[in-house]
Amino acid sequence: MVMSPAVNTYPLSSYTFGSKEAKIEKDTSVADRLARMKTNYVKEGMRTSVEGILLVQEHNHPHILLLQIGNTFCKLPGGRLKPGENEIEGLKRKLSSKLAANSSNLQPNWQIGECVATWWRPNFETIMYPYCPPHISKPKECKRLYLIHLSEKEYFAVPKNLKLLAVPLFELYDNVQRYGPVISTIPQQLSRFQFNMINNETNDK
Amino acid sequence: MNNSQLFNYTHGSSTSTDDGSQVEAIKIYGLSNYYFYSKPAPPLKNQTLEERISCLKTRYDVCGIRTCVEAVILVELSKTPQLLLLQLRNSTYKLPGGRLRPGESDIEGLKRKLTNKLSVHSDGILPDWEVGECLGRWWRVGFETLLLPYLPPNVRSPKECRKIFLVKLPERQKFTVPKTHKLLAVPLSQLHENHEIYGPVISGVPQLLSKFPIETASR
Repeated sequence: MVMSPAVNTYPLSSYTFGSKEAKIEKDTSVADRLARMKTNYVKEGMRTSVEGILLVQEHNHPHILLLQIGNTFCKLPGGRLKPGENEIEGLKRKLSSKLAANSSNLQPNWQIGECVATWWRPNFETIMYPYCPPHISKPKECKRLYLIHLSEKEYFAVPKNLKLLAVPLFELYDNVQRYGPVISTIPQQLSRFQFNMINNETNDK
Repeated sequence: MNNSQLFNYTHGSSTSTDDGSQVEAIKIYGLSNYYFYSKPAPPLKNQTLEERISCLKTRYDVCGIRTCVEAVILVELSKTPQLLLLQLRNSTYKLPGGRLRPGESDIEGLKRKLTNKLSVHSDGILPDWEVGECLGRWWRVGFETLLLPYLPPNVRSPKECRKIFLVKLPERQKFTVPKTHKLLAVPLSQLHENHEIYGPVISGVPQLLSKFPIETASR
Protein backbone atom coordinates (compact mmCIF):
# COMPACT_ATOMS: atom_id res chain seq x y z
CA MET A 1 0.00 0.00 0.00
CA VAL A 2 1.12 3.57 -0.56
CA MET A 3 2.26 5.02 2.77
CA SER A 4 0.71 8.37 3.60
CA PRO A 5 3.08 11.05 4.88
CA ALA A 6 2.89 11.17 8.66
CA VAL A 7 2.34 14.07 11.04
CA ASN A 8 2.85 13.66 14.78
CA THR A 9 0.19 15.45 16.77
CA TYR A 10 0.46 15.95 20.52
CA PRO A 11 -2.26 16.79 23.02
CA LEU A 12 -3.17 20.42 23.56
CA SER A 13 -2.13 19.92 27.19
CA SER A 14 1.50 19.35 26.25
CA TYR A 15 1.78 23.01 25.20
CA THR A 16 2.07 26.06 27.46
CA PHE A 17 0.35 29.31 26.58
CA GLY A 18 1.35 32.71 27.91
CA SER A 19 0.47 36.16 26.75
CA LYS A 20 2.35 39.13 25.37
CA GLU A 21 1.58 42.69 24.37
CA ALA A 22 -1.30 43.23 21.95
CA LYS A 23 -0.69 43.13 18.21
CA ILE A 24 -2.99 45.81 16.91
CA GLU A 25 -4.42 45.05 13.46
CA LYS A 26 -3.26 47.61 10.91
CA ASP A 27 -6.70 47.78 9.28
CA THR A 28 -9.97 48.30 11.10
CA SER A 29 -12.24 47.24 8.25
CA VAL A 30 -12.24 45.08 5.13
CA ALA A 31 -12.35 48.26 3.01
CA ASP A 32 -9.25 49.63 4.79
CA ARG A 33 -7.46 46.36 4.27
CA LEU A 34 -8.16 46.29 0.53
CA ALA A 35 -7.15 49.95 0.21
CA ARG A 36 -3.82 49.27 1.93
CA MET A 37 -3.32 46.24 -0.32
CA LYS A 38 -3.76 48.51 -3.36
CA THR A 39 -1.18 51.01 -2.09
CA ASN A 40 1.31 48.24 -1.42
CA TYR A 41 0.64 46.69 -4.83
CA VAL A 42 1.60 49.92 -6.57
CA LYS A 43 4.88 50.04 -4.62
CA GLU A 44 5.83 46.37 -4.45
CA GLY A 45 3.76 44.32 -6.90
CA MET A 46 1.81 41.16 -6.04
CA ARG A 47 1.54 40.40 -2.32
CA THR A 48 2.72 36.95 -1.23
CA SER A 49 1.42 35.82 2.12
CA VAL A 50 2.29 32.66 4.00
CA GLU A 51 0.24 30.98 6.72
CA GLY A 52 0.91 28.06 9.02
CA ILE A 53 -1.31 25.10 9.89
CA LEU A 54 -0.37 24.05 13.44
CA LEU A 55 -2.00 20.83 14.63
CA VAL A 56 -2.70 19.41 18.06
CA GLN A 57 -4.90 16.51 19.05
CA GLU A 58 -7.75 16.17 21.49
CA HIS A 59 -9.69 12.92 21.91
CA ASN A 60 -7.58 11.50 19.07
CA HIS A 61 -8.93 13.98 16.52
CA PRO A 62 -6.74 16.63 14.86
CA HIS A 63 -7.37 20.25 15.81
CA ILE A 64 -5.99 23.36 14.07
CA LEU A 65 -4.74 26.39 16.02
CA LEU A 66 -6.54 29.56 14.94
CA LEU A 67 -6.18 33.15 16.15
CA GLN A 68 -9.48 34.86 16.86
CA ILE A 69 -9.82 38.64 16.64
CA GLY A 70 -12.80 40.13 18.43
CA ASN A 71 -15.77 37.80 18.69
CA THR A 72 -15.81 36.03 15.38
CA PHE A 73 -13.07 36.55 12.82
CA CYS A 74 -10.57 33.67 12.79
CA LYS A 75 -7.30 33.52 10.95
CA LEU A 76 -4.28 31.25 10.61
CA PRO A 77 -1.00 32.55 12.04
CA GLY A 78 1.04 34.12 9.24
CA GLY A 79 1.13 37.23 7.12
CA ARG A 80 2.67 39.18 4.28
CA LEU A 81 6.21 38.57 3.06
CA LYS A 82 8.61 41.47 2.63
CA PRO A 83 9.61 42.09 -0.98
CA GLY A 84 12.10 39.40 -2.06
CA GLU A 85 11.81 37.49 1.24
CA ASN A 86 12.06 33.67 1.10
CA GLU A 87 8.72 31.97 1.92
CA ILE A 88 10.13 29.66 4.62
CA GLU A 89 12.10 32.41 6.38
CA GLY A 90 9.12 34.74 6.15
CA LEU A 91 6.77 32.15 7.63
CA LYS A 92 9.12 31.52 10.57
CA ARG A 93 9.31 35.27 11.12
CA LYS A 94 5.51 35.61 11.09
CA LEU A 95 4.93 32.60 13.35
CA SER A 96 7.35 34.01 15.91
CA SER A 97 5.77 37.42 15.64
CA LYS A 98 2.29 36.04 16.31
CA LEU A 99 3.02 33.15 18.68
CA ALA A 100 6.48 33.31 20.23
CA ALA A 101 7.63 35.09 23.38
CA ASN A 102 9.69 38.17 22.75
CA SER A 103 12.80 36.97 24.55
CA SER A 104 15.18 35.23 22.19
CA ASN A 105 15.89 32.16 24.36
CA LEU A 106 12.24 31.07 24.14
CA GLN A 107 11.98 31.03 20.34
CA PRO A 108 10.40 27.81 19.05
CA ASN A 109 12.40 25.99 16.42
CA TRP A 110 9.72 26.13 13.73
CA GLN A 111 9.69 23.01 11.52
CA ILE A 112 8.05 24.08 8.30
CA GLY A 113 6.55 21.15 6.40
CA GLU A 114 5.06 21.05 2.95
CA CYS A 115 2.86 23.56 1.22
CA VAL A 116 -0.67 22.12 1.22
CA ALA A 117 -2.57 24.80 -0.70
CA THR A 118 -2.19 27.99 -2.73
CA TRP A 119 -4.94 30.63 -3.05
CA TRP A 120 -4.99 33.51 -5.56
CA ARG A 121 -6.67 36.90 -5.28
CA PRO A 122 -7.40 38.18 -8.81
CA ASN A 123 -8.65 41.68 -7.84
CA PHE A 124 -8.70 44.03 -4.86
CA GLU A 125 -11.69 42.16 -3.48
CA THR A 126 -12.14 39.56 -0.80
CA ILE A 127 -12.68 36.60 -3.13
CA MET A 128 -9.86 34.10 -3.62
CA TYR A 129 -9.50 30.93 -5.76
CA PRO A 130 -7.30 27.81 -5.50
CA TYR A 131 -5.99 28.51 -9.02
CA CYS A 132 -5.20 31.68 -10.92
CA PRO A 133 -8.42 32.31 -12.90
CA PRO A 134 -8.05 32.22 -16.69
CA HIS A 135 -7.46 35.64 -18.25
CA ILE A 136 -5.96 37.04 -15.02
CA SER A 137 -2.38 37.99 -15.80
CA LYS A 138 -1.81 40.24 -12.77
CA PRO A 139 -3.13 38.60 -9.59
CA LYS A 140 -3.00 40.88 -6.56
CA GLU A 141 -2.13 38.28 -3.95
CA CYS A 142 -0.85 34.73 -3.69
CA LYS A 143 -1.41 33.00 -0.34
CA ARG A 144 0.40 29.77 0.53
CA LEU A 145 -0.58 27.49 3.37
CA TYR A 146 2.14 25.37 4.98
CA LEU A 147 1.89 22.46 7.38
CA ILE A 148 3.95 23.08 10.55
CA HIS A 149 5.38 20.13 12.48
CA LEU A 150 5.21 20.99 16.18
CA SER A 151 7.45 19.24 18.66
CA GLU A 152 6.12 17.67 21.82
CA LYS A 153 6.44 20.73 24.01
CA GLU A 154 6.29 24.35 23.01
CA TYR A 155 5.70 27.66 24.76
CA PHE A 156 3.40 30.00 22.86
CA ALA A 157 2.91 33.66 23.80
CA VAL A 158 -0.34 34.96 22.35
CA PRO A 159 -0.91 38.71 21.88
CA LYS A 160 -3.33 39.99 24.54
CA ASN A 161 -5.93 41.13 22.02
CA LEU A 162 -6.14 37.74 20.30
CA LYS A 163 -7.50 34.39 21.44
CA LEU A 164 -5.85 31.15 20.38
CA LEU A 165 -8.38 28.43 19.63
CA ALA A 166 -7.92 24.73 18.84
CA VAL A 167 -10.69 23.83 16.38
CA PRO A 168 -11.37 20.19 15.37
CA LEU A 169 -11.34 19.26 11.68
CA PHE A 170 -14.98 18.13 11.84
CA GLU A 171 -15.99 21.63 12.96
CA LEU A 172 -14.13 23.29 10.07
CA TYR A 173 -15.30 21.00 7.26
CA ASP A 174 -17.93 22.64 5.07
CA ASN A 175 -18.31 25.50 7.56
CA VAL A 176 -17.71 28.36 5.11
CA GLN A 177 -20.07 30.71 6.96
CA ARG A 178 -18.00 30.69 10.12
CA TYR A 179 -14.44 30.16 8.83
CA GLY A 180 -14.39 31.28 5.18
CA PRO A 181 -13.39 29.23 2.11
CA VAL A 182 -9.66 28.98 2.88
CA ILE A 183 -9.87 27.61 6.45
CA SER A 184 -13.04 25.50 5.97
CA THR A 185 -11.36 23.49 3.21
CA ILE A 186 -8.21 22.64 5.17
CA PRO A 187 -9.61 19.19 6.20
CA GLN A 188 -9.60 18.08 2.54
CA GLN A 189 -6.05 19.34 2.05
CA LEU A 190 -4.87 17.42 5.13
CA SER A 191 -6.79 14.24 4.29
CA ARG A 192 -3.76 12.59 2.65
CA PHE A 193 -1.73 12.73 5.89
CA GLN A 194 -1.59 10.01 8.49
CA PHE A 195 -1.95 11.63 11.90
CA ASN A 196 -0.01 9.90 14.67
CA MET A 197 -1.99 10.83 17.77
CA ILE A 198 0.56 10.84 20.55
CA ASN A 199 -0.76 10.84 24.08
CA ASN A 200 0.95 11.93 27.29
CA GLU A 201 2.26 9.07 29.43
CA THR A 202 -0.36 9.81 32.06
CA ASN A 203 -3.28 9.35 29.62
CA ASP A 204 -4.65 6.02 28.49
CA LYS A 205 -3.60 5.22 24.95
CA MET B 1 9.46 43.25 -7.76
CA ASN B 2 8.98 40.89 -10.66
CA ASN B 3 5.45 39.46 -10.56
CA SER B 4 6.20 36.62 -12.92
CA GLN B 5 8.68 34.85 -10.65
CA LEU B 6 5.97 34.04 -8.12
CA PHE B 7 3.13 33.73 -10.58
CA ASN B 8 3.71 30.09 -11.17
CA TYR B 9 0.60 29.31 -13.13
CA THR B 10 2.02 29.48 -16.62
CA HIS B 11 5.66 30.24 -15.93
CA GLY B 12 6.30 26.86 -14.38
CA SER B 13 8.61 27.78 -11.52
CA SER B 14 8.71 25.33 -8.66
CA THR B 15 8.83 26.16 -4.97
CA SER B 16 11.05 24.90 -2.18
CA THR B 17 10.13 23.54 1.20
CA ASP B 18 12.33 23.76 4.26
CA ASP B 19 14.21 20.57 3.51
CA GLY B 20 15.04 21.87 0.03
CA SER B 21 12.65 19.54 -1.78
CA GLN B 22 10.85 21.04 -4.74
CA VAL B 23 7.15 20.77 -5.48
CA GLU B 24 7.36 19.30 -8.94
CA ALA B 25 5.29 21.03 -11.58
CA ILE B 26 2.57 19.02 -13.31
CA LYS B 27 3.19 19.07 -17.07
CA ILE B 28 0.03 19.01 -19.10
CA TYR B 29 -0.46 18.61 -22.83
CA GLY B 30 -3.19 19.81 -25.14
CA LEU B 31 -6.34 17.73 -25.43
CA SER B 32 -5.67 17.46 -29.17
CA ASN B 33 -2.58 15.34 -28.40
CA TYR B 34 -4.87 12.50 -27.36
CA TYR B 35 -7.03 10.20 -29.43
CA PHE B 36 -10.32 8.82 -28.18
CA TYR B 37 -11.97 5.67 -29.42
CA SER B 38 -15.03 3.87 -28.23
CA LYS B 39 -15.17 0.24 -27.07
CA PRO B 40 -18.02 -2.09 -26.24
CA ALA B 41 -18.88 -2.22 -22.58
CA PRO B 42 -20.43 -4.76 -20.23
CA PRO B 43 -23.85 -3.69 -18.93
CA LEU B 44 -23.73 -1.29 -16.01
CA LYS B 45 -24.37 -2.71 -12.54
CA ASN B 46 -25.68 -1.08 -9.38
CA GLN B 47 -27.32 1.88 -10.97
CA THR B 48 -29.66 2.89 -8.15
CA LEU B 49 -28.61 4.15 -4.75
CA GLU B 50 -30.37 1.20 -3.09
CA GLU B 51 -28.45 -1.29 -5.23
CA ARG B 52 -25.15 0.39 -4.43
CA ILE B 53 -25.79 0.45 -0.68
CA SER B 54 -26.88 -3.18 -0.74
CA CYS B 55 -23.74 -4.17 -2.66
CA LEU B 56 -21.53 -2.24 -0.19
CA LYS B 57 -23.18 -4.06 2.74
CA THR B 58 -22.80 -7.52 1.20
CA ARG B 59 -19.17 -7.02 0.32
CA TYR B 60 -18.39 -5.44 3.70
CA ASP B 61 -19.55 -8.64 5.43
CA VAL B 62 -17.16 -10.65 3.30
CA CYS B 63 -14.14 -8.37 2.79
CA GLY B 64 -14.33 -5.57 5.36
CA ILE B 65 -13.70 -1.95 4.45
CA ARG B 66 -13.96 -1.11 0.74
CA THR B 67 -11.01 0.83 -0.67
CA CYS B 68 -11.54 2.77 -3.87
CA VAL B 69 -8.81 4.48 -5.85
CA GLU B 70 -9.48 7.30 -8.31
CA ALA B 71 -7.35 9.29 -10.74
CA VAL B 72 -6.99 13.01 -11.31
CA ILE B 73 -5.85 13.36 -14.92
CA LEU B 74 -5.25 16.81 -16.42
CA VAL B 75 -5.07 18.07 -19.99
CA GLU B 76 -4.85 21.56 -21.42
CA LEU B 77 -7.59 23.16 -23.49
CA SER B 78 -8.07 26.86 -24.22
CA LYS B 79 -4.90 27.56 -22.23
CA THR B 80 -6.48 26.26 -18.99
CA PRO B 81 -5.98 22.99 -17.12
CA GLN B 82 -8.97 20.68 -17.42
CA LEU B 83 -9.87 17.52 -15.50
CA LEU B 84 -10.89 14.32 -17.33
CA LEU B 85 -14.21 13.02 -16.03
CA LEU B 86 -16.37 10.08 -17.03
CA GLN B 87 -20.07 10.75 -17.29
CA LEU B 88 -22.74 8.07 -17.12
CA ARG B 89 -26.02 8.42 -18.97
CA ASN B 90 -25.89 12.22 -18.95
CA SER B 91 -25.92 12.51 -15.18
CA THR B 92 -23.39 11.11 -12.69
CA TYR B 93 -19.80 12.32 -13.02
CA LYS B 94 -16.97 10.11 -11.86
CA LEU B 95 -13.21 10.19 -11.70
CA PRO B 96 -11.71 7.19 -13.50
CA GLY B 97 -11.00 4.45 -10.99
CA GLY B 98 -12.86 1.96 -8.83
CA ARG B 99 -12.78 -0.63 -6.10
CA LEU B 100 -9.63 -2.54 -5.10
CA ARG B 101 -9.66 -6.31 -4.92
CA PRO B 102 -8.79 -7.82 -1.53
CA GLY B 103 -5.01 -7.72 -1.05
CA GLU B 104 -4.40 -5.52 -4.11
CA SER B 105 -2.11 -2.49 -3.69
CA ASP B 106 -3.40 1.04 -4.37
CA ILE B 107 -1.12 1.58 -7.38
CA GLU B 108 -1.74 -1.84 -8.98
CA GLY B 109 -5.46 -1.43 -8.52
CA LEU B 110 -5.52 2.06 -9.97
CA LYS B 111 -3.55 0.98 -13.04
CA ARG B 112 -5.91 -1.96 -13.50
CA LYS B 113 -8.97 0.28 -13.26
CA LEU B 114 -7.54 2.92 -15.59
CA THR B 115 -6.77 0.25 -18.17
CA ASN B 116 -10.32 -1.13 -17.88
CA LYS B 117 -11.98 2.24 -18.09
CA LEU B 118 -9.75 4.15 -20.47
CA SER B 119 -7.63 1.79 -22.47
CA VAL B 120 -7.45 -1.39 -24.48
CA HIS B 121 -5.14 -4.35 -24.24
CA SER B 122 -3.54 -4.53 -27.64
CA ASP B 123 -0.98 -7.26 -28.29
CA GLY B 124 -0.88 -7.90 -24.55
CA ILE B 125 0.93 -4.63 -23.98
CA LEU B 126 -0.56 -2.75 -21.06
CA PRO B 127 -0.28 1.03 -21.09
CA ASP B 128 2.13 2.29 -18.47
CA TRP B 129 0.19 4.68 -16.28
CA GLU B 130 2.33 7.11 -14.29
CA VAL B 131 0.69 7.27 -10.86
CA GLY B 132 1.87 10.24 -8.79
CA GLU B 133 1.14 11.15 -5.18
CA CYS B 134 -2.04 10.68 -3.23
CA LEU B 135 -3.83 14.04 -3.22
CA GLY B 136 -6.52 13.29 -0.67
CA ARG B 137 -8.71 10.70 1.03
CA TRP B 138 -12.40 10.44 1.85
CA TRP B 139 -14.11 8.12 4.31
CA ARG B 140 -17.64 6.76 4.50
CA VAL B 141 -18.63 6.10 8.10
CA GLY B 142 -21.93 4.26 7.57
CA PHE B 143 -23.37 2.41 4.58
CA GLU B 144 -25.68 5.27 3.74
CA THR B 145 -23.73 8.26 4.94
CA LEU B 146 -21.86 10.93 3.02
CA LEU B 147 -18.13 10.91 2.38
CA LEU B 148 -15.96 12.97 4.75
CA PRO B 149 -12.31 14.09 4.33
CA TYR B 150 -11.38 12.84 7.81
CA LEU B 151 -12.24 9.95 10.08
CA PRO B 152 -14.58 11.34 12.76
CA PRO B 153 -13.53 10.71 16.38
CA ASN B 154 -14.53 7.35 17.87
CA VAL B 155 -15.25 5.72 14.50
CA ARG B 156 -13.70 2.26 14.58
CA SER B 157 -15.06 0.68 11.42
CA PRO B 158 -15.53 2.95 8.44
CA LYS B 159 -17.23 1.23 5.50
CA GLU B 160 -15.26 2.80 2.68
CA CYS B 161 -12.04 4.69 2.09
CA ARG B 162 -11.55 6.50 -1.21
CA LYS B 163 -8.07 7.67 -2.26
CA ILE B 164 -7.51 10.24 -4.97
CA PHE B 165 -4.21 10.02 -6.90
CA LEU B 166 -2.55 12.33 -9.38
CA VAL B 167 -1.93 10.50 -12.67
CA LYS B 168 0.40 12.08 -15.22
CA LEU B 169 -0.16 11.59 -18.91
CA PRO B 170 2.59 11.22 -21.48
CA GLU B 171 2.62 13.68 -24.35
CA ARG B 172 0.47 11.44 -26.53
CA GLN B 173 -1.87 8.62 -25.71
CA LYS B 174 -4.83 6.73 -27.15
CA PHE B 175 -7.85 6.27 -24.96
CA THR B 176 -10.71 3.88 -25.49
CA VAL B 177 -13.83 4.70 -23.56
CA PRO B 178 -16.63 2.19 -22.89
CA LYS B 179 -19.77 2.98 -24.91
CA THR B 180 -21.73 3.39 -21.68
CA HIS B 181 -19.65 6.42 -20.66
CA LYS B 182 -18.74 9.81 -22.06
CA LEU B 183 -15.26 11.20 -21.37
CA LEU B 184 -15.25 14.95 -20.73
CA ALA B 185 -12.63 17.61 -20.03
CA VAL B 186 -13.87 20.15 -17.47
CA PRO B 187 -11.97 23.34 -16.50
CA LEU B 188 -10.91 23.63 -12.85
CA SER B 189 -12.83 26.90 -12.59
CA GLN B 190 -16.06 25.06 -13.40
CA LEU B 191 -15.48 22.41 -10.73
CA HIS B 192 -14.51 24.74 -7.88
CA GLU B 193 -17.24 24.91 -5.23
CA ASN B 194 -19.71 23.26 -7.62
CA HIS B 195 -20.88 20.57 -5.17
CA GLU B 196 -24.36 20.35 -6.62
CA ILE B 197 -23.28 19.13 -10.03
CA TYR B 198 -20.04 17.30 -9.26
CA GLY B 199 -20.25 16.29 -5.57
CA PRO B 200 -17.72 17.17 -2.85
CA VAL B 201 -14.92 14.91 -4.09
CA ILE B 202 -14.70 16.21 -7.69
CA SER B 203 -15.54 19.84 -6.80
CA GLY B 204 -12.69 19.73 -4.25
CA VAL B 205 -10.05 18.65 -6.79
CA PRO B 206 -8.90 22.22 -7.66
CA GLN B 207 -7.92 22.80 -4.01
CA LEU B 208 -6.02 19.51 -3.83
CA LEU B 209 -4.08 20.57 -6.95
CA SER B 210 -3.47 24.15 -5.78
CA LYS B 211 -0.01 23.53 -4.32
CA PHE B 212 1.37 22.36 -7.69
CA PRO B 213 2.61 24.70 -10.38
CA ILE B 214 0.99 23.53 -13.62
CA GLU B 215 3.10 23.82 -16.77
CA THR B 216 1.48 23.83 -20.16
CA ALA B 217 3.77 22.29 -22.74
CA SER B 218 4.16 24.85 -25.49
CA ARG B 219 3.92 23.72 -29.10
